[in-house]
Amino acid sequence: MLKTLTLFLFLFPAFPRSAPCQEGVFLKEEEAPKAVFPEATAFERRVIPSDAKLQETIKQRMNPAKTSFWEPSYITFIAKKGSSIVGYAAIVEETGKHRPITFIVGVGMDGKVKDVALMVYREPYGGEVRDERFLAQYRGKDLKAPLLPYRDIRNITGATLSAEAIGRGTKKALALIEIVHLQDKK
Amino acid sequence: MKTTITVLTLLLFLPAVSFSQQRDTAAEIRELREKLERLEKKMADEEAARAKKMEEEKTAIAEKVKTDVMSEVSTKGRSFFGDMISQTKVGAYGSLRYGTSNLADLNNSFTFRRFVLTTDSPIADRLKAYMELEFERFTRLEVEKSLSPALGGLTSQQAIESTNRSEISLEQAWMQYDIADWLNFRAGAILVPLGRFNINHDDNRWDLPRRSLVDRGVPVLPTTSAWPELGAGFRGDFSVGRQGKVSYEWYVMNGVTLDSEIEQISQTRSGDTTKFAQEIELRPSRGTFSDDLKSGKAIATRWAYSPWLGDEIAASFYWGRYTPDFLPNHPVFSFALDGKKTWGPFEIEGQYVNTWWSGVSRVARGFASRALASESEGEVGDVETEIEFELANLATRKQGYWVDFRYRFWPEFLNQTILGRHFSNPQLVGTLRLEQVWFKDLIKEIAFIGGALTDFEGESRLLNRVTLGLTYRPVPLVALQLAYEYTRTNSGKSLAEVTNFLPARAREFFQHALLVGLAFGF
Repeated sequence: MLKTLTLFLFLFPAFPRSAPCQEGVFLKEEEAPKAVFPEATAFERRVIPSDAKLQETIKQRMNPAKTSFWEPSYITFIAKKGSSIVGYAAIVEETGKHRPITFIVGVGMDGKVKDVALMVYREPYGGEVRDERFLAQYRGKDLKAPLLPYRDIRNITGATLSAEAIGRGTKKALALIEIVHLQDKK
Repeated sequence: MKTTITVLTLLLFLPAVSFSQQRDTAAEIRELREKLERLEKKMADEEAARAKKMEEEKTAIAEKVKTDVMSEVSTKGRSFFGDMISQTKVGAYGSLRYGTSNLADLNNSFTFRRFVLTTDSPIADRLKAYMELEFERFTRLEVEKSLSPALGGLTSQQAIESTNRSEISLEQAWMQYDIADWLNFRAGAILVPLGRFNINHDDNRWDLPRRSLVDRGVPVLPTTSAWPELGAGFRGDFSVGRQGKVSYEWYVMNGVTLDSEIEQISQTRSGDTTKFAQEIELRPSRGTFSDDLKSGKAIATRWAYSPWLGDEIAASFYWGRYTPDFLPNHPVFSFALDGKKTWGPFEIEGQYVNTWWSGVSRVARGFASRALASESEGEVGDVETEIEFELANLATRKQGYWVDFRYRFWPEFLNQTILGRHFSNPQLVGTLRLEQVWFKDLIKEIAFIGGALTDFEGESRLLNRVTLGLTYRPVPLVALQLAYEYTRTNSGKSLAEVTNFLPARAREFFQHALLVGLAFGF
C-alpha cells in the first residue's frame, strides 16, 4: 500500500506539465484577441455600448436562437496585419449552469468564426469546453449554423449547458460584429 | 519764397514722419505676432488638455465597463446567502417515477426516488469545495423523547415517526486544490471511481428511469451507487497528441466494510405466540465516516483515454479489505471496463464490472465463531423472542454489464407544438439497455451454533434485464422518461434473492414493468 503510494507520487513529476486548471482565468483582455488572431500585428480596441436598439438588432439576426443581454457594453477588437484588417473579435459572456463563462470570438472578413478562446470559466464542472478539440468545432461556422450540442456540435458529457452557452455567445458575437463592423464593408 | 521754405521743410520732415510710422507698424506687427503666438500656444495647450481629458475619459469609460462587467459577473455569481458566501452556488437534482409491475406484492406506485441538494464553492483561486446531500424517498423524520418519574419509578419513552425506505445521505463533500490541469488534490467524501456510472450518477443525466443492476439493483459494485468513501487522492487530465486526452483519478480511502443492519420485527400470529425478533445482517456497506472498523485502507483508480471528442474508453479497479478487525483479513477486488462511442446521433455507452470477494467461507466461519449462534430464541408466556445473525449479499464472484444504445432525434414538425415551441434545443432519445449479472457462490443459507458453522450453502445465478425507453428532454437538465422493462432470473427462483428492489415471491422469476419517470436538475 505504502509502496504503491510512493510509486505514484514519484511518477507524477514525469507527467507533462500543462496550463492551469479546470476553472479560472485563462486569458486576460489584452491577451485575448491574439489568441484568436495570432497572425495579426495590431489590435484596435473599441467599446460598443449595448443599447436597446443594438440588442433588438442582434436578436433579429440570431433568431430563432435566443441569448441574454446583460453586458452594458461589448469590448471589440479590429485585428490588423500591417495596414489591412484581417478580422474582428468580440468578448462575450453567457451563463453556463450557474455562472457566466467569458470568452472571445474571432470573426473573419467573410463573417465566419475564425476561432473561439475561453477567457474565464467559473463552473466547477465542464471545464473541458476549454479544450482545443472542443472549440475547434466552431471554426468556419456562421450565423445560420445552429451551434447546438447534438446538432452541429459534439457534446461533452456533463458539460451540455456550458456547450450550449458557448454556442449562444458565439452567435451573439457573430451578430454583433456583423452589425457593428461588417455591415459597412458589404 | 515762404511757400518754397514750407515745402522744403515738409520734404525735410516727411521721411522722418514716415520712418516713425514704419517703426510703429513694425512694433504693432511684432505685438500682433506675439499675440498670435500666445494664442496659438494657448490653443495648443487647450487642445492638449482636451486630448488629455478625452484620453482620461476614455480610460475611465473602459475601466467603468470593466468594473460594470465584473460587478455584473459577481452579482450573477452571488447566491441568496449573500456576501458571506457570495461565490457559493446552490443547485439540486431529483427524480420521481410511476411504475407498474406484474409482481404480486408490488403495487403500482409513485416513488420519489431522490432529491439531492448540491453546493459548490470556489473558496479561493485554485481551491474549491463541493457537497451533495441526498434525501432518498424521504418525507419525514420525527423523534419524541421523554424521561419522567412515574408509578414510583422512572419512565423513559422514545417515539420515532418516519417514512418507509427513507434515507438521508451525504453523497459527496470534498475540497479540491487545483495544482495543475494534470494534478488536482481532492480530499473528503469522494465518489469511488469504479466504472463510469458512479462518478456520473445524477439521475437527470440518464435517459432511463431506473439505475442499472450492476451499479444499483444488485449491485456488482462492492456496494450500491452512489458510492462515496472518505479519503484523499489525486485526479487530473492531460493531452495526448492533438485530439487525445487522458484523465485519471486515484484515491486512498476507508473503503467498503461488512457492517451490521438491524431489523426489528414485532409480529402477531394467528394461533401462535406473539413474536419479537431482531435480525442482524452483516452486509457490505460503504465505509464509515467515523473510526474505521478495520485497519486496512482501500485504493481505487480509474484511467480514461479519449482519442477524440465524444469517445472514451476507461479501466478502473478497487482493492481493499472488507472485513472488520474481528473477522479474518480478506480483501475485495473489483475491476471495471467502460466506454462510450458516438456516431452522429447514435451512441453506445456501457460498463462491465467484475467483483471478487475473497475468503467468503472463511469469513463465514469467523463470523460464526464470533456470533456463536445464528438463531437464538426463547418463549415467555405468549411472547416469543428471537435473535438472528445473517451474512448477506456476499458471493465469491459477481460480474455483469450494462450497455445502452441511444439514438437522439427531433422531428422538425414538433417545433410548432408545445413540445418544441418554447425550447431552443429539445430532444427525443430512444434507448435500448441490455443488462446481465452472473453470481458465483451467492450465499443462500448460513447457519451456525456454538460458534461452529453448521450449514453454508451458495448457488450460482443469472439475472437478465432488457429495457426499452423513450425520453423527451425540453432542456438538457430535464428528462421525461417512459420505459418498459423485462427482468428475469433462473426459472422457478425468486427475483428477490438477486435484486435489492424487487419484493418478488418465492417462485416469481420474471417481471414486466412499465415506468414513467421525471428527472430534473437546476
